[in-house]
Amino acid sequence: MVRSAAAERTTGAKFQRPGRHGGTGRTPRGARAERLAPFVLVAPAVLIIVALRLWPLLLGVNFSFTGDGERNGTSVGFDNYAQLLDDPLFRTALGNVGLLVALLPVAVAIPGLLATFIYLRVPGHRLFRGVYFFPAVLSPVIVGAIFNLMLGFDGPLNAALGAIGLGPIDWLGDPDVAMFTVIGVHIWATFGMALVVFLAGFSTLDAALLDAARMDGASLRQVIWHVIIPGLSRTIQFVFVTTMIGMLTSMFGLLYVMTSGGPEGSTYLPEFYVWIQQGRMNRPALASAASTVLFLIMLVVGILQVSVLRRAGRED
Amino acid sequence: MKQRTLWSVVLATGLAVTGCGSAAPTQPSPGESKSKIVVWDWKSGEPGVTSYIEKAKADFAKKHPDVTVEFVAQPFDQYYTLLGAATQSGKGPDVMLFNGGGQIRDRVDGLLPLDQYVAEDKQRLAGWDAFSKDGTIYASPVTLQGHPIYFNKSIYQKAGLDPANPPKTWDEFVSNCAAIKKAAGAKCFALGNKEGFGIQFFMSGLGPGILTPKEYDDWIAGKRDWTSPHVKEIFSLWKKVNDDGLNNDGANSTALFNDAFGLFNTGKAASIIGLMSDIGHWKDFGEFLGADQVGVMTAPVVTSGATSVLPYDGGIGYGVAKSTKDPALATDLVRSLTSTGALTAFYTGAGAITSDTTIDVSQGAPAVAAIVPQIKDGKPALHVALSSKTLDLMGRLSQQLLSGSVSVDEAVKQLAASDKTS
Repeated sequence: MVRSAAAERTTGAKFQRPGRHGGTGRTPRGARAERLAPFVLVAPAVLIIVALRLWPLLLGVNFSFTGDGERNGTSVGFDNYAQLLDDPLFRTALGNVGLLVALLPVAVAIPGLLATFIYLRVPGHRLFRGVYFFPAVLSPVIVGAIFNLMLGFDGPLNAALGAIGLGPIDWLGDPDVAMFTVIGVHIWATFGMALVVFLAGFSTLDAALLDAARMDGASLRQVIWHVIIPGLSRTIQFVFVTTMIGMLTSMFGLLYVMTSGGPEGSTYLPEFYVWIQQGRMNRPALASAASTVLFLIMLVVGILQVSVLRRAGRED
Repeated sequence: MKQRTLWSVVLATGLAVTGCGSAAPTQPSPGESKSKIVVWDWKSGEPGVTSYIEKAKADFAKKHPDVTVEFVAQPFDQYYTLLGAATQSGKGPDVMLFNGGGQIRDRVDGLLPLDQYVAEDKQRLAGWDAFSKDGTIYASPVTLQGHPIYFNKSIYQKAGLDPANPPKTWDEFVSNCAAIKKAAGAKCFALGNKEGFGIQFFMSGLGPGILTPKEYDDWIAGKRDWTSPHVKEIFSLWKKVNDDGLNNDGANSTALFNDAFGLFNTGKAASIIGLMSDIGHWKDFGEFLGADQVGVMTAPVVTSGATSVLPYDGGIGYGVAKSTKDPALATDLVRSLTSTGALTAFYTGAGAITSDTTIDVSQGAPAVAAIVPQIKDGKPALHVALSSKTLDLMGRLSQQLLSGSVSVDEAVKQLAASDKTS
């Protein structure tokens, strides 16, 4: 965008110049100004990005090769990274990132299915549309606090389970369950946005195809599988990407409020690990190393996502 | 159009210049830094502490009327993160509040040794050890923090037990628990281990009844024998108490702050290993149960030969940054913050048991009157001697012990390894 706008402006200037300069033609000086203009115009953006993004990033990466505590400021090579690999807590955190990716289809399927039902006008679909979106406006802290009460060992959910004869589940205290609980709550809290995107996608769906499928006697499952999903492939890809970003970047608040990384360190995510090492363990250099690893992961994921989106764009 | 290009150039240069300018650090003028001291803490915003801060400020203003003191209250959750970041970038405060033990010992690199400045206070105040490393003092203690075992006297009465005569040995304690469960339907301990803090309270609260005095002193002195059977006993008892159903259910998902305190306050558990100051202490409990109904017992003796003492340390204290412009001025402020007048206001306002041993508490609640006389013979708490890294590991292992996914031997082995490297 920036480039084309700048180009337009320079061509505009070229057009005007002869008139202004009384037909003296292009001077070498004017030509240089023209050549420099685009660079000058993008300079603010570039400078801001370099000074406030790239430079701190490099400082952080550089810092990750120094030591903590007594070795503060001295170069330690890859020591911090070796320590990270050696730390079961960090490995758990990386494993949990993998779990998030693995559960992504579920996080996309839920809003997709619910949007389908709304689109197919199930009774009360107007009400559901509002209700489903409502949690998306709550902050993670509030959502976490609500579910802390709901999911407490002596909380209402376990009381309800007890009433129908099922044993209590320690939703947030059992290391095998806690991460799924937090992810479940995260999906509950955020699927409203994806739902809205799906509904927007449905509005571009050709209703005639649905009618034709119905006329031919297709069942609901067949309609979803053969008409709706192919028709919505771009929307689905978009929701995949945005949900992935949401899961990888905005779980901190929920984790902090609901489990604080516990029990037994089972719900650590890299960003939580960074925070603990920097704040509680007073190991800023190790935290920098963890941040660098997290950055690389996000870079890879980001590049993959961009390529998916680009391919989706081409298909159109 | 040419003019427009020119304008764009001017604008762009302007933006670039201001963009760079704002990134550069702004240097305070020398006059400003001379007459202003910045204090960081997480306390001064609390309502009960106002009179304490006022008293300390007034005391300091008497000595240095031309110096302004600015208190910056940070959220405790992020206090050390913020402090670390500010110190790293050279913008830290002059005077700052610390928790005793690992939190300050990990950060002594940036702190001023206070020995020469606070010599006069050494007798009057208690709890210096928690703010010292290798014999050097880095902060003056404000409150004392320790782990008395509180019990609910009305539950004891209901169970037919004598609240004036709490159990002395572990066997007595356990048999009382059975009576309490039967008569009052209450659990024995309120335990919250969601954050992994429950084990710290357990270790320090019951440790004096488990380790022999020699083992105890060695532990504090840094000669920790993790293979000793009594050290292992701490962890096997931790597990056994839970397995035998003496704790509330779901301890690993119950937050110590403040769900576990809530269980004790509402009479769902008969006892809790609590704190002396700040929170989860006699004053908090007294507001729910009635000040007369809060009892205090010393650790029941588990091992013969162990003597029950009050485990306590300096709780919070003020330290001075090495980078401060005028160390004498900053330490004067620390001395004002630990003056008898200020600390008396802290005790009456917030119910903290302060480091000042000359404050008269005989008019206070029965629980305070029971705790304060024990300070003289008290010893540092066991968990405070451990590094924050080992404490973090211990928190996770304690949860694994409760869920049964690690054995006591394995847990102790990992802790020993962590303790050795830190």
